[in-house]
Amino acid sequence: MVRAALGSKRKIGQGPVRFATAVPAASVVAASFLCALPIISNFGWYPDFGFLALLSWRLLRSDPWPAWWTLPLGLVNDLFTGAPIGLSIALWSATMLALDLIDRRTMWRDYWTEWVVAAVLLAINEAIQWKIAAVMGASLPLRAMLPSFLVSICIFPLAAWVVSRIDRWRLGQ
Amino acid sequence: MATARPGWSRRAQLGLFISFLALIAGVIVGLILLGLSLVAPKTFQGVRGAALDVTAPVTGALHEVTDTVGGMVTGAGNYWDAAHQNSKLKAERAQMVRQIIRAKAVLQENQQLKAALQLRERSRDAVATGRIVGSSFNSPRRFAILSAGSSDGVRIGMPVRSPDGLVGRVIDSGMLASRILLVSDRANIVPARLLRNGIPVISQGRGDGTVDVRPLEVGRNPFKRGDIIVTSGTGGLYPPLVPIARIVKLDDDGAIGMPLADPSTISFAIVEPPFEPAAAADNPAEPDAP
Repeated sequence: MVRAALGSKRKIGQGPVRFATAVPAASVVAASFLCALPIISNFGWYPDFGFLALLSWRLLRSDPWPAWWTLPLGLVNDLFTGAPIGLSIALWSATMLALDLIDRRTMWRDYWTEWVVAAVLLAINEAIQWKIAAVMGASLPLRAMLPSFLVSICIFPLAAWVVSRIDRWRLGQ
Repeated sequence: MATARPGWSRRAQLGLFISFLALIAGVIVGLILLGLSLVAPKTFQGVRGAALDVTAPVTGALHEVTDTVGGMVTGAGNYWDAAHQNSKLKAERAQMVRQIIRAKAVLQENQQLKAALQLRERSRDAVATGRIVGSSFNSPRRFAILSAGSSDGVRIGMPVRSPDGLVGRVIDSGMLASRILLVSDRANIVPARLLRNGIPVISQGRGDGTVDVRPLEVGRNPFKRGDIIVTSGTGGLYPPLVPIARIVKLDDDGAIGMPLADPSTISFAIVEPPFEPAAAADNPAEPDAP
């Protein structure tokens, strides 16, 4: 990149890190693994870290990983979080598909549009989790999902920032 | 950005098309697996247990760290205002000793009466003890991770309790760890009764750390604030007379209770065999019989 020459001297001649193509997927797996944190909570208000990472990567780049990698990523998330197996596989693939279709329609976008798109997808994610919990015999009122939805929306810019930092690091920029 | 046509390259167009197909296939595969795990949850027992074995040791190790740090903080806090605490504890202790003496007398009387009736108590040995190291903090469900697994004898369906009260039951078990459905989960329905007068009730989780308690018979609301709910042993899964919750709030046809065994504060949880050995793992206590 020509711009790299204008940056600090330290970065000249520095290319992408090794396995740069695997970094996005690995970071999503790492985010899914955050559910192994020893937090014992009586509320499910924490955000879905894996899904936030997936959204952030997909909104940053149109091809963070080969499309079919979404399937194993979803499986890993299901296994780590203890959700019924298949939930994240279907949901994450559908999310990637939806974002592909949105990309075809939108002419331009900015941070606000991305935040709104993320909010809508996070809402769908929460609603489907709620529906699946109801099917499995745990029918809660829908407003029980509101706190975790709001927390996810507020955390999204942070997730997007972390992901953009990881992206710059992996590309050596 | 993926536009409608990625240029004139036939190869790029094909790549885009294939990635669409892959995502559609992903949705379909996911839906099939989801259907399977909803209809036949036993299908994925093995792989879920294996996943627990991967995550739980990490959770357990991190839990040790946070526990130590937290212990140091609360340990330092205990020195603060120690004299006042000391006098309060002494008063509490004196009261407790009196209660213990009374309880001992009742226990002795109870033993004599039972001997007279020639009732035999089945001994109930704990299967395993473990620590609660993690929880499903980003899901509407209320699960906890216990640091004891099938290598310790834990099987799916076994009840889990702590010295304070009922914690829940095992729903997934790996070699080293198991996942517990807490009493505060919406899907956990426990046949119970009021300790004060023995009225049969049902406890169902509310998903936020509290439980809904409803009387089995419709009529006057039998609850009072501060009432203790204990298991009734109906259904054969949970042993009888294990404390579940204390009533904190009344509503129109029932009450809301706070579980006595808070998973975030109990240090050890005990896994017990199902109360009636015949109670199968996959049909837990149903509230149809009072």
